[in-house]
This record gives sequence, structure tokens and C-alpha cells, in this order.
Amino acid sequence: MVDATTTAPNKAETRTKQTSFRVRVLVYQIGLLVGILGFWEAGIRLGYLEAYIYGVPSGVASAFASQLLDGSLLRHFWVTGQEVVIGFLIGSLLGTISGLLLWLSPLWARVLHPYMIALNGVPKIALAPLIIVWFGLGMESKIAIAAIITFIVAFLQAHKGTQQIDSDLIRLLQSLGAKPLQIFRIVVVPGSLPWIVSALRLNVGFALIGAVVGEYISAEEGLGHKVYYSGQLYDLNSVWVGIFSLMIMALMLEVVVSWIEKKLQW
Amino acid sequence: MTPQDDIVLRASGARVVYNEDTAHPVEAVRSISLDLRRSEVLALVGPSGCGKTTLFNAIAGLLPLQGGRVEVGGQQVDKATGHVGYMLQKDLLLPWRTVIDNVTLGLEIRGMRGAQARAIASDLIRRYGLSGFENSKPAALSGGMRQRVALMRTLAFNPDVILLDEPFSALDFQTRILLQADVTRIIKEQNKSVILITHDIGEAISMADRIVVLTNRPATVKSVHTVSFRNASTDAVNIRTHPEYQAMFAKIWSELEIIDEAKGSENKVA
Ligand SMILES: Nc1ncnc2c1ncn2[C@@H]1O[C@H](COP(=O)(O)OP(=O)(O)O)[C@@H](O)[C@H]1O
Ligand SMILES: [Mg+2]
Repeated sequence: MVDATTTAPNKAETRTKQTSFRVRVLVYQIGLLVGILGFWEAGIRLGYLEAYIYGVPSGVASAFASQLLDGSLLRHFWVTGQEVVIGFLIGSLLGTISGLLLWLSPLWARVLHPYMIALNGVPKIALAPLIIVWFGLGMESKIAIAAIITFIVAFLQAHKGTQQIDSDLIRLLQSLGAKPLQIFRIVVVPGSLPWIVSALRLNVGFALIGAVVGEYISAEEGLGHKVYYSGQLYDLNSVWVGIFSLMIMALMLEVVVSWIEKKLQW
Repeated sequence: MTPQDDIVLRASGARVVYNEDTAHPVEAVRSISLDLRRSEVLALVGPSGCGKTTLFNAIAGLLPLQGGRVEVGGQQVDKATGHVGYMLQKDLLLPWRTVIDNVTLGLEIRGMRGAQARAIASDLIRRYGLSGFENSKPAALSGGMRQRVALMRTLAFNPDVILLDEPFSALDFQTRILLQADVTRIIKEQNKSVILITHDIGEAISMADRIVVLTNRPATVKSVHTVSFRNASTDAVNIRTHPEYQAMFAKIWSELEIIDEAKGSENKVA
């Protein structure tokens, strides 16, 4: 028999263990990054890899520094950032509101059902060329792509959220004499929050894809344009600068959405 | 007071058919007539699927009747207006609301908000042993406590008639027995008239003044039993040791048309 009191670690010990675990994870994460970059750099220098096909870390770093200093990188970042954020906000907000409101009309929910299934199945980015035709070549069309895609996702998720509400809960509120709008406010909206929040999380990715693919198709500026254009010129280091900048943007948005998620959670 | 005034709920020939206009109508309740007297606890026992919940939904005004009528407080029921308190097997607490905000739900729906509603709720919470949990979320409570909060929510808007649909069946045995005793005490104290659906005969005998046994679907009243051997000193626990308890248990058991799924025939154990 093992005595539980002597083997169970106390709280302080547990905390130190967790800290040292976290430190180890961090060390490995940095090590992995350094290792990959090191192999990549070495491969180029030793002639196993071609720099014009793969780019080279040292070149990426100096391209990053010079493009940061001449302001061009920040301008591309700013353009794409606006497209993503504005598109995300418009699409997610309108999509969520319409998806929720659909609960009030079982008729329309039924009418729209096959359309929703069709929209859910189609790769939404395939709409991008159409939207460019409708909205022109400027920022508006990228905002529109991001907004339309995120609208669809938010709409479907919010609607799904309302469908998952326990019907007994609705029966309870009805038995208390609640009107549909009261049921909507008291139960349906807060009860759908987990689905709404998960839509927001998905939509960060979709808004980025929408804006960047829109810029690939046609644009004068923005990170997507920069990546695509540099690729055409075989300037692989600049392609990497663009890609890493998009990663940074994604991480920043991720932090914001995590914060919103915490605020909305019950 | 005439006996007529003493009836707080009356069902006369109530009939409910699902999908009436389709090729496959389901007659859930054929014809139920029963009276609920003021301050009485009436238990409904019947095989599962016989139409008990359907009858409750009709009483609460959530389902239309296809025949007969239901009156609560002398008023014919035709839609859900909160004329009864309805408590289900699931506690159905809103997980994003605190205990006190769950208790005020019925008041809020009637347009009472803020301090007045909270005063009523916190009084109930304090009186019935949940002090200190006012601002907890339901997830922090045990099953028994959650069901107690659900009862507070039902009592808060002060309906005369309370419908309890198997409110204890999701609880473990000990919690169930304790809560049966508690609920009986609380509804007597609050002077409520109650219909209790249960498939637990022991629960029916230990809580109810009268027991209505229903037939298989479509439900009709098979028999009515009066529990006369309870007095001030019996409670949900010790009534089970009463000699008449056993006899009544056996009688009701024999009347229940329980289909034994293994044998495919009715259970006739006496
Ligand atoms: N919405 C519905 N539509 C059709 N049939 C239903 C519906 N709800 C319940 N039923 C049927 O009516 C019968 C009675 O159900 P219910 O009242 O829930 O039984 P109980 O509460 O006594 O177990 C069951 O056979 C059930 O399948
Ligand atoms: Mg039932």
C-alpha cells in the first residue's frame, strides 16, 4: 500500500512542476524554430538547396528589415489589416444577427434550409472572382470577400446555435407565459453564444483567406498582393516576408478574439 | 366554502391527439377527468409513455385539447399564460445566470425586475436552505440543490397550482428521499396545490394525498386511491415503514399495466 499523503505532491510542488513544464515547452519551441532555420540556411550555404527557389533566412531577415524601414511593409500590413478587420466585423456581426433572428421565423428557417446546406458545402472562397467583378479592384472588393465569407459562416453557426437550444427550456419559458421575443432575449441569444464564439474564431481565418486571395486575384497593395507579386518575380525572400507578416497578423487577431471569447463566455 | 370553491383545477374529459390531421394520429390522452383540491398533492402514476407529460402540457396551455376542457382557478385554459407553475425532470436552470437570477425568471417574464424581484427570490433562497449560493452559477451546485433552485423559481411567481413532472427521477436515491420530504414541507408551507407525476409508487404514496393511476396510452383514469394513513408525524422517510404502505404499494403495482418488454405481455404481479 502506498500512503497517499506522502506521494501526493503539495500545491507548491505542483506549481513548480507546471512552471518547469512550461519552460521546457518554450525551450523546445524556440529550439525547433532555430533548428529549422539553421538547416535551411546551412542547406543553402552548402549548396544543397537553391536560394532562388526556397529563399534564405538571412536574406528574409534583411529583406524584412529594409522593407520595414522604408515603410512599404507597414503599408501592406495596414491595407490587409483593414480589409480583414472591417470585413470580419461586418460579416460576423450581420451574419450573427441574421442567424439569430431566423429563430423567430420557423417558416423562413425551413425555406432557407436547402440554401444553407448548399452554402455550407461550397468552398466559399470560390466566390472571390465574382465579388471582385462586382466590387472593383480596390480595397472594397477585399472587404466584401472577407465580409461575405464571414457572414455565411456566422449566419450558419448562429442559426445552428439556436437550433441546439433545449426544447424543454423553451417549453418552460412558454409555460411561464413568455412571448417569443422574451424567449429570444432570455434563452435563445445567450444559449447560442458558444456557437457564435466558435464562428468568430473560424472567421479570423476566413477573413484572412478572403482578403489575401482577393489580393492575389487583383490588387495594387496589401500583403497578399506583395506575396503574389514577389512570387512572380522569384523574389522568394520577399514572399517569406509577406507570409511571416500574415502569421503575425493572424496571431494578433487570435489574441483579440481570445479576449472577446473570454468576455462572452458564461 | 362549498366543495366546488375548493377545486383549484378541474379536467373534464380532456383529450389530446398528436398529428390529428395526418395519416398517423397518435391519441395520447383519451379522456381524463380529475379534480385538484386546494392545498392537495395529487400524484399521477402510469406506465411510461402513457400520456402524463402530454396532459401536463395541455394543463399548462402548451398543447390544444381535442376534446373536453381544463379549468384552473375557474378559468378555462386555452393558452400558456403562466397560470400554473411547471417543473420538469431537468432543472432547466440557465447556466449563464446566477442562482438568484434564475429564481427571478418567472417574475421577469411578468415584467417585474430589479430590487422587488430580487427581494422575493432572496427571501425564498434564504428560507429554503440555499443561503450563500445566491451569486453562484448552477454548475457549482449539486443535482439536488439545482432542483431546489428550480422549485424556488416555480414558487417565486406564486402560482396556486404547481405541476411537477418527475422532478426527482434524475437524482440519486438519498438526495431523492431527502428532497421529497423537503418539497412536501415547502409546498404545504406555501399552501400550494400540486399535481405530481411520478413512476415511483413509493414517492407517490409518501408525498400525495390522493393517487390517480392511469392506463396505458391513450391515458384514462384507472383508479384513485386516498392516502389516509399519513399524519403530522409521518414524513417521506418513515411512511415507508407503515404497514398500510406495503399494501397500497402492492395494490397500485398490480393496477399498473406495465408491459414487460422481455416477455411482451402485461405485468400482473400482485
Ligand atoms: N409531439 C409528439 N408527437 C407525436 N407523439 C408524441 C409527441 N409527444 C409525445 N408523443 C407520444 O405520446 C405518448 C405520450 O407521451 P408522454 O405524454 O410524453 O408520456 P409520459 O409522460 O406518460 O411518459 C407517447 O407514446 C409519445 O410517443
Ligand atoms: Mg413524461
